[in-house]
Amino acid sequence: MPLLTQRIQDESDQYCLVASLDNVRNFSTILKAIHFQDHATCFVTKNGVKVTVENAKCVQANAFIKAGVFQEFLVREEPIIFRINLTVLLDCLSIFGSNPMPGTLTALRMCYQGYGHPLMLFLEEGGVVTVCKINTQEPKETLDFDFCNTNVTSKIILLSEGLREAFSELDMTSEILQITISPDTPYFRLSTFGNAGSSHLDYPKDCDLMEAFHCNQTQVNRYKISLLKPSTKALVLSCKVSIRTDDRGFLSLQYMIKNEDGHVNFVDYYCCPDEDIPQAES
Amino acid sequence: MKSEVGGRPSYGGPQWAFPAGKRSRVLEIGGSRVGMRGIRLRSFEINAGNIRVPGALALRRAFQSCVLARGAMLKCGMNGSQVKVFGKAIQALSRVSEELWLDPSEKGLALRSINSSSSAYGYVLFSSMFFEHYQWSTSKKINDNGKSVCLNCKLGMKSILPIFRGLNSFERNVEMCKIFTGSDKCKVVIQFFCRHGIKKTHNLCFQESRPVQVNFTKNMCCNTLMIQPRLLAEAMVLFSSNQEEVTLAVSPLNLCLKSSRGESWDLTDSVYSEMLIDPDEFDFFQIGLDTEITFCSKELKGMLIFSEATRVPISIHFDFPGKPVAVSIVDMLLEGNFILSTLADDPSGACSPQSLYLSQGGKRSDWRPSESQAGKRGAPQAPECISRKTVPKRLCPRGSPTKDAAVRDHGHLQTKRADLDDVCEVPRSRVGDTDDEPNSSSPMKLSSLFFGAVSSERRARRAQPCESLARASDSDGD
Repeated sequence: MPLLTQRIQDESDQYCLVASLDNVRNFSTILKAIHFQDHATCFVTKNGVKVTVENAKCVQANAFIKAGVFQEFLVREEPIIFRINLTVLLDCLSIFGSNPMPGTLTALRMCYQGYGHPLMLFLEEGGVVTVCKINTQEPKETLDFDFCNTNVTSKIILLSEGLREAFSELDMTSEILQITISPDTPYFRLSTFGNAGSSHLDYPKDCDLMEAFHCNQTQVNRYKISLLKPSTKALVLSCKVSIRTDDRGFLSLQYMIKNEDGHVNFVDYYCCPDEDIPQAES
Repeated sequence: MKSEVGGRPSYGGPQWAFPAGKRSRVLEIGGSRVGMRGIRLRSFEINAGNIRVPGALALRRAFQSCVLARGAMLKCGMNGSQVKVFGKAIQALSRVSEELWLDPSEKGLALRSINSSSSAYGYVLFSSMFFEHYQWSTSKKINDNGKSVCLNCKLGMKSILPIFRGLNSFERNVEMCKIFTGSDKCKVVIQFFCRHGIKKTHNLCFQESRPVQVNFTKNMCCNTLMIQPRLLAEAMVLFSSNQEEVTLAVSPLNLCLKSSRGESWDLTDSVYSEMLIDPDEFDFFQIGLDTEITFCSKELKGMLIFSEATRVPISIHFDFPGKPVAVSIVDMLLEGNFILSTLADDPSGACSPQSLYLSQGGKRSDWRPSESQAGKRGAPQAPECISRKTVPKRLCPRGSPTKDAAVRDHGHLQTKRADLDDVCEVPRSRVGDTDDEPNSSSPMKLSSLFFGAVSSERRARRAQPCESLARASDSDGD
């Protein structure tokens, strides 16, 4: 890591967070998976970084980047929590362009002095250095969906390629997405009810793409499609997805994303069910 | 469902040739349904007040007619490559209009489409042999009546087109596609059985509407060409996409495809393209009449896409300007025809820049009956001042067709220009019209003035809710 390291080494005492990455895309790609709102809350501990985005108090997305992904990860005091403009952060992280020349890597050094200070980003590619300072904000309370394993009524692990086409072709004229999980047929069904009529997508239990299928009781839950549609970004980047519902009908989607170095990162989406009285549709 | 229900004509009555087809949809008893435009149609018992039901007697009669319609059922199945061709047909027909009629019969499954200004008609027939399996069954009771049974199924392109998206992956991913519908259900069920055991089911609501039918004897045309679609597509690429019309000029020596010198043609800011194609490039080249015709290129491009997918050469049949041009592909298993109206010539010899409607309107200004239209080639045009000051209708509807009642008056088929005997149309229901009063609305009067094809006989029949233009065709022949 040229240039940057020497200059900043002696100043590192004042930072409560210093993180370095040889390839900034190992960080920015994961953040793109949850980028459906402008603002995000960052939680930093010795274990890594968690970035949370919420919408309408109904849906929450979290991205976890382990400390092991970074070449250098120093946290002086934990926890570090701040709110930041995710759009601006992503723009800065991809300041050298999103399509790099093959073989070139953009390096990142992220530093944070503490409460009230901006987040400093040092990005370097081919000898050119960019310094970004992004103001941080007061962290806002994030939702706790209280999704614990004991309440999970069904769990499905699917290869993402099976769902990608389905999610991108969802009938957006439908307000809701209905998810049916059952120990009998249709096992796993995604349904939409749009202007033209209804559409159902059925995945059998013994489908090649299904790695695991556990279901005790039939559950039919409806979620607002506008809240779930952004999860398509994470789905596209991921290789596997785990779908869980609990006894309240809350939905948990966990995506396993492999970055360019082969590290595994997780993104999860939580969504609460749509409370409108469901009308019987065929 | 305001537009549908409000436009529902009175039940019963002698003017309805096929009463059953019209009513069964409204009389769905029980349950709630999502209508074509997402408007919830509550069950009949609850919402009877919103439906114009003249009386119990008519209702009972209507219900009986509804029962008669039951039993007509379509079941067909296709494999991945067949459904790709099927999807391409739908994509091609989407260039014609926003609506699609599904018209099954013993012969096979026909898809029909006509645009809002009635200047283009598309028809694709998939014979029963095209499918992996095909079954069109009608109950014995209906057959005994001696009337042919129509499914009367009209779908919106917006509903069906997204289902056939990403066709290139269909060959790989889709193992079987099944289409199932019945006249008693008002729903078309399209199921895809894909790789990995995944099953996609689409339940599309359809609107009950008598399918339009245009008979055009293309074999009677003086000029017939047959060419490989790729060659024609390469030629069409030369024309910029903002040129909506294209001119085809033929002589026994060659064919010239050129930009149409339309109303807006201006020497300073447009590109004029011309491409000469030698007769040798054609699979078949028969010119009986040196002529120059101008028509919309959008539908032609649609047919080219379909033709390339089926790898069947495309044939073009035409005569003189003003007479429709037929662009078709014919194969053992399927047949596609696009009948497109052409700009009529003016007596000076140059192609008239007026749209076809205006020239019609001009001719019609003295309310002459339609028979006089036969052999109208080169007939004197109405003074341009009359036509131009009025509704500036184009040959090709700009962008999305305007939805005003004037253009939606499907009862007036544009192709009735020169040769009425060749072209006829079965009565079409105007389910889309919100106003059911036959003589009251001014847009209707406008349409009758300008869309020609008016005869005193028809004006008398306009008192009835359904416009019928010519004799109803009971045959399925096209």
